[in-house]
Amino acid sequence: MNKKHNLFPYIRRIAFSNSLDTCITLFILLAVFLLSTITIKWLLFGADWAVVIQNYPLYAFGLFPADQRWRPALWLLLLISLTIITLVGPRWRWLRKLLPITWIGVIPLGIVLLSGGLGLLPVASRYWGGVTLTIFLTTCSSLLAFPLGIILAIGRQSDLPLIKFFSSIYIEALRAVPLIAILFFGQLLIPLFFPIGVEINRVIRAVLAFTLFVSAYVAEDIRGGFQSIPKSQEEAAKALGLSKLQITQFVILPQALIIALPALTNQAIGLLQNTSLMAILGLVELLGISRSILANPLFIGRYMEVYVWLAGIYWLICTVMALLASHLEQKVTIEKLTIKN
Amino acid sequence: MTSVIRTRKLVKTFSKGLRALDEISMEVKKKEVLVVMGPSGSGKSTLIRTFNGLETFDSGELEIVGIPLHSDHNERNVREIRKRVGMVFQQFNLFPHLSILENITLAPIKVQKQNRIEAEEHAMSLLSQMGIITQARKYPSQLSGGEQQRVAIARALALKPELLLFDEPTSALDPERVGEVLDAIRSLAEKGMTMVVVTHEVGFAKEVADKVLFMDSGKVIETSTPEVFFTNAKHERSRKFLNQIGE
Ligand SMILES: Nc1ncnc2c1ncn2[C@@H]1O[C@H](COP(=O)(O)OP(=O)(O)OP(=O)(O)O)[C@@H](O)[C@H]1O
Ligand SMILES: [Mg+2]
Repeated sequence: MNKKHNLFPYIRRIAFSNSLDTCITLFILLAVFLLSTITIKWLLFGADWAVVIQNYPLYAFGLFPADQRWRPALWLLLLISLTIITLVGPRWRWLRKLLPITWIGVIPLGIVLLSGGLGLLPVASRYWGGVTLTIFLTTCSSLLAFPLGIILAIGRQSDLPLIKFFSSIYIEALRAVPLIAILFFGQLLIPLFFPIGVEINRVIRAVLAFTLFVSAYVAEDIRGGFQSIPKSQEEAAKALGLSKLQITQFVILPQALIIALPALTNQAIGLLQNTSLMAILGLVELLGISRSILANPLFIGRYMEVYVWLAGIYWLICTVMALLASHLEQKVTIEKLTIKN
Repeated sequence: MTSVIRTRKLVKTFSKGLRALDEISMEVKKKEVLVVMGPSGSGKSTLIRTFNGLETFDSGELEIVGIPLHSDHNERNVREIRKRVGMVFQQFNLFPHLSILENITLAPIKVQKQNRIEAEEHAMSLLSQMGIITQARKYPSQLSGGEQQRVAIARALALKPELLLFDEPTSALDPERVGEVLDAIRSLAEKGMTMVVVTHEVGFAKEVADKVLFMDSGKVIETSTPEVFFTNAKHERSRKFLNQIGE
């Protein structure tokens, strides 16, 4: 069905070929029509969007002090620019070399900008929230889980039995525990391991819990990549006199990462959605802040509006992530990895 | 003349008790080209892979470019040998995520610690020697099989090896691409490169080989000059083999 004049016969063939087909088609059309008119009518006339419009800053920054909102905004802006620069892939070698360091710097910069210090007004972590917190949790956990996952994946392939054993135990244990349990562990148990009086920021504890969880899955994705690389690659590298470490670093790992890339970007998108679990544990990230807005007597009963809006934001962020991911995949894969070996 | 490869009673047994190498004693001298022939499963690949430590062996003596290698497979010696011995595989085994230039410069930069500019200049001269200088910025999957194999030869040459090993370098190629790769190997022979080539290309062997080594069931059946081997082989089994491949 690639020519236009084939369209009508095609539709007739797939949707109206006999009377039963015709009935089903008409029924579906009617249902779709009714549903969409009801939805559109509600969106335009039924809903009261004040609960969204009056609370934009809350959705964006949570309870962050109004005169300090430029700080999370600046961090988000830097993050977006860095993402774009990375995806465009600069031509200059010096800039490409700088990128990994800059990405590592994203976490401390975010912590300083959000929590203050170094001349900035201190802001306690309970005031961090909204999209900012959702993205902070996702970004920091992904950035930490990625190298940890690589190390675990390499550990699992190691010739040293002890390293292999502990990597496997770690991966299997974390994959056997539900995420919510690990998050509870992070919020309730981690503090017990520290002396009384030392308080670790709740957000940082959440980041650590997510990192522990996601790294196990990242490790498995990368191991899948390792296994799909033919043995002949390692032999060719050995024959050139490369050391074990060099073979992993320059030959095996880069290819494994390219192969694992779609799975890894899925992990990131899944992680973003999973950060909403923190609402149960009292963080006011996107879902949490929405729930506290709903608790405000001014907006009582406006569930539909808030949750539709919330779904829209999650959908938007996830879609952008998915688009960026597929762009990255194409860029990395196209000519390089049609493995002929 | 100094010998580049010397083995004495080399034995290699795979798990099932089958001797892939059965007391192999042989020698390759400097600037010599040795062609290894033999039926499938006779141990040709196993033999040349022991020459750069890709296979271990059970007993016997092996000395490559003056470095002794024992059945304990000393890691230091193995790496020293690999730095001085190049290998070209049947399936090319280029690194698909690296450009042609990066494939060739990887080992010089990482193993020999050459600086990038110097390594790239050398790589470009090798590519022009192989007649594929225009492909330097492409990736392996964008090249034809013959071109890929010539890149693999350039990659092996980049470490300025004293010995080159070829395991059926033309067996995975389309027939019309075989010539260009054999030409490249021939020109290396003319420059005096010491080489061991496993191949079924009789024409090539007649023209380029100084000696032909014929193997069967892990044993060296005979080692002769190509004139003798192809017209008047000493051994019954060699003659039978030549008959089978149509000579
Ligand atoms: N990794 C291995 N494990 C067990 N047996 C092996 C292994 N590699 C090779 N062999 C066996 O050793 C013998 C020699 O194999 P080798 O690959 O050296 O033969 P070849 O002469 O190169 O054959 P071909 O012409 O098919 O490449 C064969 O019987 C083979 O089955
Ligand atoms: Mg073979």
